[in-house]
Amino acid sequence: MDFTTKILHTAYSKSDVHGALRMPVYDAAAFEFPDAESLEAAFLGRNPGHVYSRLTNPTVEYLEKMIKEVTGALGVVSFSSGMAAISNAFLALVQPGDNIVTTKHLFGNTYSLFHKSLKSFGIEFRFADLTDLTSVKGAIDEHTRAIFLETITNPMLEVADVSALSEITRENKILLIADTTLTPLYLFDSKKHHVDIEIISSTKYISGGGTSTGGIIVDYGTYDWSYSAKLSNDAEKFGPFAFIARLRKEIHRNFGACLSPHNAYLQTLGLETFALRAEKSCANSLEIAEWLERQPKVEKVNYPGLKSSAYYKLSQKQFGKLAGAIITLDLASKEECFLFLNNLKIIRRATNLNDNKTLALHPASTIFCEYTPEELVPLGVSEKTIRLAIGIESARDLIDDINQALNKTDK
Amino acid sequence: MNLKINGKEQKIDSSEIAVKELLVLNKVEMIDMVSVQLNGTFVRKEDFETRMVKENDVVEYLYFMGGGRYSD
Repeated sequence: MDFTTKILHTAYSKSDVHGALRMPVYDAAAFEFPDAESLEAAFLGRNPGHVYSRLTNPTVEYLEKMIKEVTGALGVVSFSSGMAAISNAFLALVQPGDNIVTTKHLFGNTYSLFHKSLKSFGIEFRFADLTDLTSVKGAIDEHTRAIFLETITNPMLEVADVSALSEITRENKILLIADTTLTPLYLFDSKKHHVDIEIISSTKYISGGGTSTGGIIVDYGTYDWSYSAKLSNDAEKFGPFAFIARLRKEIHRNFGACLSPHNAYLQTLGLETFALRAEKSCANSLEIAEWLERQPKVEKVNYPGLKSSAYYKLSQKQFGKLAGAIITLDLASKEECFLFLNNLKIIRRATNLNDNKTLALHPASTIFCEYTPEELVPLGVSEKTIRLAIGIESARDLIDDINQALNKTDK
Repeated sequence: MNLKINGKEQKIDSSEIAVKELLVLNKVEMIDMVSVQLNGTFVRKEDFETRMVKENDVVEYLYFMGGGRYSD
């Protein structure tokens, strides 16, 4: 069955009392039970009843069920943001002394989480070149628990070979964790590429147009948790549910970064039109990137769907024609970048991705603002780069806007 | 036989019973999503029909998903 058909016809766990065709927003903090025994059973996880909305909630559960339906995953847990999903995943999976192999070319806040916040918990993040398998293999040792990647990195737009990385993780009996925020669900089949754990910022495509923040963890049930230094005891008790159990019974519950019912509702709506919006924004991106390549004022254009991209073949293999909706372009200087941004009339100056509106940003001075120019060099973030997060407007209108703003960059 | 199921003593009119039969007998909802432990050890879903529960065994079944109140 097609992605959108599955989404639109995901069954409720329980029939709605009024026959509502859309899952209602259960804006309730708590749920009552007929007797103390039932309440105890629900608390112990012995019956699948909702107790308290920090733990589970019918509307939130329906969003999770929709994602389970289209991914075929073992379990799905949602969070208040994409960053909450990443941090909760690692809090559940690793302990002091463990290390994770990843790249420096990550979303700025993810990089900050890794090399500052989680480092202080005694967790080491080893920064390798994920596009170079020798570099990856060389970074792995007996304390390595996972490889973490972004399917398309933000904002470098690097594409790693996910299947090749999965061969390394399976050989070393470690996890492959993919942040697929730039290419979630409809754009990239994580299961087919042997990703064990998928993490998505649902704030982006899934929210339906920048409506709400949220994060999703998808567990494909492919990892043998008896190999996990932290979760091997849980594996004995819970088998493939070891990670989901640790999240539900401890990390997600105790850290409290739950998705609100209202945001979950907005995201169930977003999923219904996700495929339509993804098709349009990716097609727009290719058209705009090809146009940008022909502009003399643009020093460099980066989009994995461009034939000139170093990642074009890999991108075609992994994402087909849906190579995401992020483009970066380099102008002559930071000053030109700011002039360009300040002269945009349709495109909005804002951070976020996969809004329905096209957004533009200067990454070095915004999402990487905590780093000095020297520190930005190894991160690959240039002061001459602008990130365009392409929306679903007319490509022609967007090109006209970019063109007039480019023409005003002469000082 | 006597069993302890989710913390409660239960008598079954049989000397042994398959895990799946026991779940059906106890009207456990969404069997595919339930995690079953027999005497503290996880039972794989593919073993539900062949793994036998015997006298004095302890069975726990747990849900880890957001659920919904399936039984009125």
